[in-house]
Amino acid sequence: MKISFKVNGAARELDAPPLQRLLDALRLVLGLTGTKEGCAEGECGACTVLLDGEPVNACLVPVGQCQGREITTVEGLGAAGHLSPLQRCFIDHGGAQCGICTPGVLISAEHLLRRNPDPDDDAIREALAGNLCRCTGYQRIIESVRAAAVLRRADARDVGDPRDVGDARGARDVSHDRQEAP
Amino acid sequence: MATSPPSTHSVGVSVPRTDGTAKVTGSARYIDDLPGMPGEIFGRTLRSTVPRGVLRGIRLDPSFDWSDVTVVEARDIPVNAILMISEEQPVLAEGKILHAYEPVALIACPDRLKLDRAARAITLDIEPLPAILDIDTALAGKDVIWGEDNVFKRYLITKGRGDAEGRAASEAGIDAALAACDVVVSGRYETHHQEQLYIEPQGFVAFWDDAGVHVTGSLQCPYYVHKVLKRALDLSSERVHVTQAVTGGGFGGKEEYPSIIALHAALLARKSRRPVRMIYDRTEDIEATTKRHPAIVEITTGCDRDGTLRALKARILMDGGAYMTLTPVVLSRGTLHAAGAYRWQDAFIESVAVATNTPPNGAFRGFGAPQTIWAIERHMDRIARAIGKDPVALRAQNLLRSGDTTATGQTLGLSVGGHACLEAALAESGYHEKRAAGPAVNGRVARGIGASVFMHGAGFTGSGERMLKGKVAIDLLPGGRLQIRTASTDIGQGTETVFRQIAADAAGIPVTHVDFAVPSTTVVPDSGPTVASRTVMVVGAIVEGASREIAERVLAEQAAGGGSFTEAGDRLLSREREVSCLKVYEPPSFIQWDDTTYKGDAYPCFAWACDIAEVEVDLDTFEVTVKNFWSATDVGKAIHPVMCKGQIEGGTLQAIGWALCEEVVWKEGLIKNPRMTNYIIPTSLDAPPFHTTLIEEPWPYGPGGGAKGIGELPMDGGAPALAAAIEHATGLIADSLPMTPERLHTLARTA
Amino acid sequence: MSVSDLRLFEMRRPADLPDVCAVLAERVSRSEPTVLLAGGTDWLVEQETRPAFAKEAALPLVLDVSRLPALRGITLDGDRLRIGAAATYLDMRRDPAVLARAPMLERMGRDIGAIQIQARGTLGGNLATASPAADGVTALAAYDATLVVHSVRGERRIPFASLQTAYKRSTRAADEVIVAVEIDLPPAGSPWIWRKVGTRRAQSISKVALAGVAVREGDRLTRLGLGMASVAPVTALLSRVRTLATSRPLRDLTAADIDAAVDADVSPIDDIRSTRDYRAHCARSVVRAFLRDLGAPV
Repeated sequence: MKISFKVNGAARELDAPPLQRLLDALRLVLGLTGTKEGCAEGECGACTVLLDGEPVNACLVPVGQCQGREITTVEGLGAAGHLSPLQRCFIDHGGAQCGICTPGVLISAEHLLRRNPDPDDDAIREALAGNLCRCTGYQRIIESVRAAAVLRRADARDVGDPRDVGDARGARDVSHDRQEAP
Repeated sequence: MATSPPSTHSVGVSVPRTDGTAKVTGSARYIDDLPGMPGEIFGRTLRSTVPRGVLRGIRLDPSFDWSDVTVVEARDIPVNAILMISEEQPVLAEGKILHAYEPVALIACPDRLKLDRAARAITLDIEPLPAILDIDTALAGKDVIWGEDNVFKRYLITKGRGDAEGRAASEAGIDAALAACDVVVSGRYETHHQEQLYIEPQGFVAFWDDAGVHVTGSLQCPYYVHKVLKRALDLSSERVHVTQAVTGGGFGGKEEYPSIIALHAALLARKSRRPVRMIYDRTEDIEATTKRHPAIVEITTGCDRDGTLRALKARILMDGGAYMTLTPVVLSRGTLHAAGAYRWQDAFIESVAVATNTPPNGAFRGFGAPQTIWAIERHMDRIARAIGKDPVALRAQNLLRSGDTTATGQTLGLSVGGHACLEAALAESGYHEKRAAGPAVNGRVARGIGASVFMHGAGFTGSGERMLKGKVAIDLLPGGRLQIRTASTDIGQGTETVFRQIAADAAGIPVTHVDFAVPSTTVVPDSGPTVASRTVMVVGAIVEGASREIAERVLAEQAAGGGSFTEAGDRLLSREREVSCLKVYEPPSFIQWDDTTYKGDAYPCFAWACDIAEVEVDLDTFEVTVKNFWSATDVGKAIHPVMCKGQIEGGTLQAIGWALCEEVVWKEGLIKNPRMTNYIIPTSLDAPPFHTTLIEEPWPYGPGGGAKGIGELPMDGGAPALAAAIEHATGLIADSLPMTPERLHTLARTA
Repeated sequence: MSVSDLRLFEMRRPADLPDVCAVLAERVSRSEPTVLLAGGTDWLVEQETRPAFAKEAALPLVLDVSRLPALRGITLDGDRLRIGAAATYLDMRRDPAVLARAPMLERMGRDIGAIQIQARGTLGGNLATASPAADGVTALAAYDATLVVHSVRGERRIPFASLQTAYKRSTRAADEVIVAVEIDLPPAGSPWIWRKVGTRRAQSISKVALAGVAVREGDRLTRLGLGMASVAPVTALLSRVRTLATSRPLRDLTAADIDAAVDADVSPIDDIRSTRDYRAHCARSVVRAFLRDLGAPV
């Protein structure tokens, strides 16, 4: 099946079996090995990419479903010399240890900060709950995201570039599991 | 003392980790990210589906097209033995099957789908035999699968009245000591398997050329792989080349097991004459690779009515699995930590590791100590209950101080930070206030708080480092730079960065002027394995010493000929072509250890910690939520405080997982949950906020002004602190792990 | 695991719903296997974790329905909420009508896997897979939702109570496409519960989960909908509990009566995730907790 889509902003075309995993198309066909495989069943989140702006596990997306869509991988967040605030903060605040979960975590965190520029720790934990990390205990990851949020807000002010932050509903109070009768 | 004041200050500063940019941009190449080599084919392992049996043969379906499939069987292996402590474990089973998932044959093929189908076209003809699946059956010895009695190893540690000629007299001595005590308390404590579950599965690429065999993989210890390949392939040292790829976590799981995958890939490459890529999928990784040893620990103690501890009698049983692998060393470390962080006048600690028909258990962060520390810490709570004393007060009263002697008779000297950790953690957590207020019950949820105190030996046991003779080379490079060549690997814990900091400060140059050579046995000397909380403290000390020697030569040149450090270095290089220092570790000379009596200085020093857990238990469903976790850890000196805290928090979350949700489910020797969807590790929503305090009681022989090893320590205290907190909240007393809601529910029903 | 034979599957993107129905009818009549694929969070996991097919047998044809407009969208018409079968859990969690009128669905959606799964998973997929552990289906059971299915024979509506017949079996015919679910909502602000007891707080399959919606007038429940996951071969509707709790004033409910009704309504088993005893205990506890919140003295 011929598939044209955008990967990290660039138009790509490939002829691939439609049920080939997006993960394999990225890694084996396009050579984008930043997206990792940890479980092949949508549990670990190491293969998280943005599909039309939403985080998905690339191991569970057939490339045939990507016709006309936009993919963002870790390679699209920033490169050496042009690191994004999130990438910088993960280095500075100990968010990356072995690094195998890091690309997926960064993608999930990027998605969070686009929708909610000032998340509290609960919102960060919820946003990253689909990315298993076995090294950090998550504490430094959460601190990295928190620091990046501050940096992004400062950047946005500095350059006067009101970024698309979507709605901020992700930050609403999530502590009530039950609603009592009136 | 080996240290002098640093002339620059990267030690103690959380510099950007040097592999950080590669990891956050996705450019770091892990093993499966390496581009395919020309002609590369994919390898796969065929394994036993029964825990014990007789291998009658291997049948290839004659209707399948085998023309491009390479098949390796036991007869294709030069020496069918995996050389670890012993070498009874075959590379591929021959005749007998001793555990489920035991490798029987290897296949490789250029096409992955055909490879999968080839695996289905091979029949392993195995006649099943009744299997030994637990410690008690193995100990009973009615059926023998290893040696004469299924026993891999025994140890006995005695002290005071436990000291006597022969085991029987020692036991009589300790029993007499116990009989003389005011209060005698007995308990039995159990722990279970744990899977390392690094997020990157194991894998290797292997190929052969005129220089011999080359393997690159996800690994902790290049020279372990080197030794195994050399023996099984019957090669000379210089024909074996082992290189570490960027490694996505290890935690011990990539200590000894990678040797087997490397060997399998190398054998397929040898027979096919093509490069072979062998990457485990998650299920194979969970089923086949090593786990933490399950243990049973029985403890009887005697103390005064006021809580002063007197006598300790302990019996430790560990399940080693089907082959010896590293089990004797795991048992040793477990035995050496069984007395906890406390003073005992009299001690008798015996331990036994047995063989069962389960996959070999192996290295996992803590290496036997979490099992015995779980037991002694739960037992301390039991004593506190028996005498009606606050469990933390009991610990403080008996906690080892400088000048005290441990169960092996080691007199503690410098860097004994247990009390400092305890005080810091109590203050930070508000433990006393919360404890005194009693369990806070809000509707159907109860909140409680609990503590554990523990120490963990850093570096190899006893005379281990003296025998090992770890080596590091430091090279002077043009431009005033240094290069570190070491076999100590960065598997996420930050070795590359920390070694650079140590070298930079020792040489008085910026950290950005230090390079770290890719760990390949062809270029780096054997620094010893990346294990045992030894990397920073032991290998870091060699890095520091060697860097200082190189710097001194440059400084001498500078003094003689002038110019900057860089200019002097370049002059030296142009004159001598190669300016390097290969340095061998010299342990502190006072360390005395007797391997036969198990007496003396078990470790050069210990790292210390106090963990405090605050939990909420749902009284309806027994779900445990860890609300907060405080940890105060005496690290000697934090070379990189952020990474140091990251180690502590990550290790603690592994302990929390082990305690609350991780469980390998077995049925007739097979693993029923070999997937990430059913082997349950904590997510970010399950992890508590960590409040980590670093205490620095410098160890004068450690690098950077006194660093100690802390890699394993944080695995030790989480489970008992959680158990104490659950007990505080609910009154439920758990002596076995894991404390799943199902088990707590059973405890509540039977209470 | 077998990722390798995914390359053998054929996939088509039907143009519209009639096209899907036509293709499906034709293939079913010829007994050719067909899979309707939306988010793939169940089906692809199944494909990747099974052994490779021994040979190129008759592979199912995959029809990608993930972006068919007829299957998307969430609409509120009076008190009737209609959720397209291929709307994702994330769509649901963000939908203003869901947030305002069916907050239980939002709360349930938060417990589905984690955001990566919520961004792909759909109610339609959950209903088609028909696992008794499916959280989304459990919530629909509590709402007594109606399934809207289409085939070449036209539209058919299946009340939830007559949907499930046995483990992973339903009364939906092989050629019927799940188009949407419809829910007759209780008044805004009505009490509800979503309580999942899972293996962990995210990326978890339910050991037990309770979905409940109620309408209370004074001391009586005039409507009570319940669904429970992972305690029976099908999603448990807890019909005895419903009957009990709506048959008398809340103050007359006793813990013993509730427990007995729950015990009669569920038949949990031991599996790798949990035990029969624990599930039975949790089932009783969470039902009691909901009725307690509603005013029962238990």
